[in-house]
Amino acid sequence: MMTRHGLWALTALIIAGALASGTGVTAAPTETVFRVWMVGDARSLDPAVAADFPSGSSAFLMHLRLVASDATGKIHPMGARSWTVTGGGLVYTFDLDPRAKFHSGKPVTAADWKWTLDRVAQPETGSGAAQSLLGGIIGFGAVRGGATRSLAGVRVVNPTTLQIALDPDGRGGFLNRIGSYQLGVLNREEVEAGGRDWADKGVAGAGPFKLARWERNVKFVFAANKDYFLGAPKVDTLELVIAPSAVTRLNLYDAGQLDLTDVPLADFRRVSGDSQYGNQLKIFPRAQSLFLGLNGPVYEPFRDIRVRRAFAQAVDRERIARTVFLGFYAPAYGIAPPQIAGADKNLKVLPYNPDAAKKLLAESGWAGRMPPLEMAINPAAPDYQMVAEAVAAMWKETLGIDVRLQRQEFAAYRAALNRRNVFPSFMQGWTATLLDFSIYLDQLLDSRSGLNFANYKNADVDKLIDQANSARSESEREGFYRQAEQIAMNDAALVPVVFTRWAVLVKPYVRGFEGSPLSLGWTDLNGIEVRR
Amino acid sequence: MASRFAASLARYALYRIGLTLPLLLGAALLIFFAGRLAPGDPVAIRLGDHYDEKAALAIKKQLGLDQPIWAQFVRYITGAVRGDFGESFISPGRRISGIVRQTLPLSLRLTVLAVGSAAVLGLTLGIIGSISVRSAWDRALQVLVVVALSVPNFVVAALLVLVFALWLRTLPVAGISGWQSYVLPVVVLAIAPTAYITRISRTSMLQVMAEDYVRTARSKGLARPRIIFRHVLRNAALPIVTTVGLAFGYTLTGSFIVEVIFNIPGMARVGVEGILQRDYTVIQAVVLIYTSLFIFVNLVVDLSYALFNPRIRY
Repeated sequence: MMTRHGLWALTALIIAGALASGTGVTAAPTETVFRVWMVGDARSLDPAVAADFPSGSSAFLMHLRLVASDATGKIHPMGARSWTVTGGGLVYTFDLDPRAKFHSGKPVTAADWKWTLDRVAQPETGSGAAQSLLGGIIGFGAVRGGATRSLAGVRVVNPTTLQIALDPDGRGGFLNRIGSYQLGVLNREEVEAGGRDWADKGVAGAGPFKLARWERNVKFVFAANKDYFLGAPKVDTLELVIAPSAVTRLNLYDAGQLDLTDVPLADFRRVSGDSQYGNQLKIFPRAQSLFLGLNGPVYEPFRDIRVRRAFAQAVDRERIARTVFLGFYAPAYGIAPPQIAGADKNLKVLPYNPDAAKKLLAESGWAGRMPPLEMAINPAAPDYQMVAEAVAAMWKETLGIDVRLQRQEFAAYRAALNRRNVFPSFMQGWTATLLDFSIYLDQLLDSRSGLNFANYKNADVDKLIDQANSARSESEREGFYRQAEQIAMNDAALVPVVFTRWAVLVKPYVRGFEGSPLSLGWTDLNGIEVRR
Repeated sequence: MASRFAASLARYALYRIGLTLPLLLGAALLIFFAGRLAPGDPVAIRLGDHYDEKAALAIKKQLGLDQPIWAQFVRYITGAVRGDFGESFISPGRRISGIVRQTLPLSLRLTVLAVGSAAVLGLTLGIIGSISVRSAWDRALQVLVVVALSVPNFVVAALLVLVFALWLRTLPVAGISGWQSYVLPVVVLAIAPTAYITRISRTSMLQVMAEDYVRTARSKGLARPRIIFRHVLRNAALPIVTTVGLAFGYTLTGSFIVEVIFNIPGMARVGVEGILQRDYTVIQAVVLIYTSLFIFVNLVVDLSYALFNPRIRY
């Protein structure tokens, strides 16, 4: 039996041990490891169903796409080394790179691509992005409706040639869409042999990184695919450290347990003024716009275009960008951010004009008899709340309207937003998953879209979007989109407020990091070097 | 005599276990409907910004969410009885049993360490307070107890991280990577229960010390430690044991915050994420398991009374 003295001695020993052994963090390994933040655990490693940031990022790293786009949206070869477009712009023939191999060593063939695309289209796969990514391919409707399991428009010509035929009405932005991380090629054998939880095993990929370990809710450890045919990554190991709390992530960075992390908006001012970070703080644009939705079917006054315009003209976006976001965010002059190829930098959004706003409201006959107005706020990020508070104050100041801000939990907010008949007005953001106009125009402003949360309806806009989707050239397509966006802005369909930016901290020993404006997935991390 | 006692104890234990069954069924019912009645659904979360009616319907069908609510409840209960909570609604293909296996041991380890250290430290401080009543030590202890009970654990956590992880760099900021990473979360979880056990131990000890038999023991010339540990502590044990049992419940609920702050991949964090994402099957499993644990600890506490007080019979 241990004596009392013995117990004290043991306690002292334990404390001394704790103090002597330092942080408990393993010493710098000899292999190069790059440690990056991740906001949560991935829901699935099946790229087809990736709809959250962690799943999207993992898919981006592990899987090979037909084509890829850089941070400016420029398309370049990846799984396909080149492609030709025939049939009046409707038939794409991809010459596949014969060097491409799955992580298992099996060569990637046209049959694998066809199987992957068919699988994403099949409704039981549960891919929400299928419609927007593959909707333009001939035969998509038949697969979606369950009549067949094979996309008629996707044809294997030979093992290294894949042909995709498009519906004339849905050809727009095809290369951008087909390069999405959700369409990463999968090794059919591994998927079918892996059972229902095949994706959890991190198999079936052909991308630059392979999953080495997935410690649930702790981290992902990816090993560089040394045989990656486009050049092996320069780090041996990539760790995505899962830390849902932004404060914890910053602490981990400060303590040297992360090499790259995001800077929460609340800490931006402190971090940017703190000399210890020197030039570790990097800022780059993010293809995200924050906007207000004015929902006519739910709130009667918003059915009158004059009321919507009055509300739009009472928003001083320059002041919000300058004073609320201290110049970190830029005023938004359109719904599509400037990183979208062809986005109209000279778009004429309804300008801030309090006198015009008051006049419009008076003309509408609603002045002084507006029913109480509620604005729902997306609770996902603090900046939504900041915009909503500023806008509510401006509406009160200019139009004399009392707005009750309604902040609720994300799941409840999202379900109500999807129903589209709950919120009279809402504060929402939209981040590009592809640098393509369709993400904003087709999804948010087309009256036939399930994501048109404000129930905006204008036949001219729908028609222009159709024309854009059937345009024969990208420049022609962009022209249609720009016209559609201008009409929607004149109608105050949505009221854009600010375009956001990313702020990250990168350790000085990390080279080659370039930010991506996309919401899901990183810029290629193949070029990252860690020289401690 | 001993066998009769054992038999009555076993009978009582069986009776109490029998009582827990309707309790668990009621809890299961409540957990199921509370989850379903809350606005929001897992399909909307799963599809996120790619929400599409057709895809949503297909997923609902796969998850069985298109079936009547009573059919879903029956499926849940029949599964739960067999210990099968099905699959996560948010992470396709992920079995709940796997999640529990991965996360429960860690959460239990944290809880047991926190309750164990709180019990040892709280009892020690309580004894010190009771034998040095109204001294400077005792008064300082009283102040500390009030402070420890008043400061919320997320504030304590932030302060400890600042001092030990960022300034002194002696302990890790977050995560579980070695025994050092247990120190801060266990301390944060243990602070309030320690204070509570200290207070109850001190009060209970003081009450017993005023009893006649203690005076008799003292007048017989028994050594002080013998009086304290033999006579006083044993008779003061009942409220202390009860408090330790309650501390277990407090620590279980506290872990919902502490696991998030310290980025610990335990079951409470999975539960929090499950709630935020409306992952019904995860919520049902986590809450039911924690409810069962709490009921079990209370049962153990009840049964332990007889060990401390032979007059208690079941």
